[in-house]
Amino acid sequence: MELVYSAERSRQEARELPDRELAVQARAGDMLAFEALVLRKTPAVVSVARRIVGNVEDARDVAQMAFLRVWEQLARYDETYSFNTWLYRIATNLAIDFLRSSRSREKAHTATLHLVKMREEQTGAETSRSAEDDSASRLFDRIAGRLTGKQKAAFVLREMEDLDTSEIAVILACGESTVRNHLFNARKILRREISRVAPGLAGPKAKKS
Amino acid sequence: MTFSCGEVRDRFEAYGSEALAAAERGAVREHLRSCEPCREEASAADPLFLFVGAGAAPVPAEATAGVLEAVRAGIALKTAERRIEVPTARRRLGALASAAAAVALTLLVPGAPARRAPREAVATQGPAARSFAPASNKRPAGEILPNAGGTKTYPADATIYDLGSGAGEPRVVWIVDRSLDI
Repeated sequence: MELVYSAERSRQEARELPDRELAVQARAGDMLAFEALVLRKTPAVVSVARRIVGNVEDARDVAQMAFLRVWEQLARYDETYSFNTWLYRIATNLAIDFLRSSRSREKAHTATLHLVKMREEQTGAETSRSAEDDSASRLFDRIAGRLTGKQKAAFVLREMEDLDTSEIAVILACGESTVRNHLFNARKILRREISRVAPGLAGPKAKKS
Repeated sequence: MTFSCGEVRDRFEAYGSEALAAAERGAVREHLRSCEPCREEASAADPLFLFVGAGAAPVPAEATAGVLEAVRAGIALKTAERRIEVPTARRRLGALASAAAAVALTLLVPGAPARRAPREAVATQGPAARSFAPASNKRPAGEILPNAGGTKTYPADATIYDLGSGAGEPRVVWIVDRSLDI
């Protein structure tokens, strides 16, 4: 009974610690600290992975793999760097790898083709109205299949997670100029796709591109 | 830094081309979060503004708990794998060391004929000799090799490949210990 109470108290204490401190404790072998990190970071990791891989089930798989990878590589964690950046780096790379795997690539491609076909079968007015009814996130899932993994990751981290290009460069293990290039291409492709699948939403910029 | 609606609208173009400084960019995002008319204006100007700050649907607590459970299970599995792998790795290392020692002991047998037979001569010994077939070279377990100086023995189930066929060069003998699990 005492042990159970003690473990619960440790869990509560762990929840109040900052990420970096939890990561340092986890690195020293504290499983409660590691689990507190998993609970704290799962929503963010699933959210980013969900945007990249396109569906929530695969995103959860990616999150599990990411935390397992974190646990395996904790000894390498350098606390002078942000734990978030390190975690995002692992999760984003796994999500991109997952996307590259034939299964997910085929899935995304089939889904995109299906949606494009559906759109083409509808009249322009219907297409526009129904697309406007969709939430932004659903629209993104529909059109983001045209992006490469890195373009998608760069766009998600920049526009949805609001990270700096320098941080994205660390996460994607590339230069800042490459990140800007990925963002430029991602925006161009997304605007083009919006004007194709939802012309009613396409602004002057989308029509230009 | 905070912007008025007009200031934000003046910056739509710059936002979309990554031309804003971090503070300005943050102020535009902050304004759009709370100003519906500007958000509509922004989306009309560039539909990519629809995705600004558009997070995925919230992850339910059960899903988070599910991820934690799966991670725990994964860690338990990895830990068990490591426990199994360590002895296996040690055993393999030991077997390799034994094999290397056996080969080193038997590779060079002193006192062998000095010259190896010419290639043509080996070929005349037939396919079995060319492929180092051990059958004709099989010796009883523990037998001391001829010309081995009386010091070399080999395991009971070893197979011997005796390549010594000429004079003038060291005699080469391979002993493969079948009991080793390499």
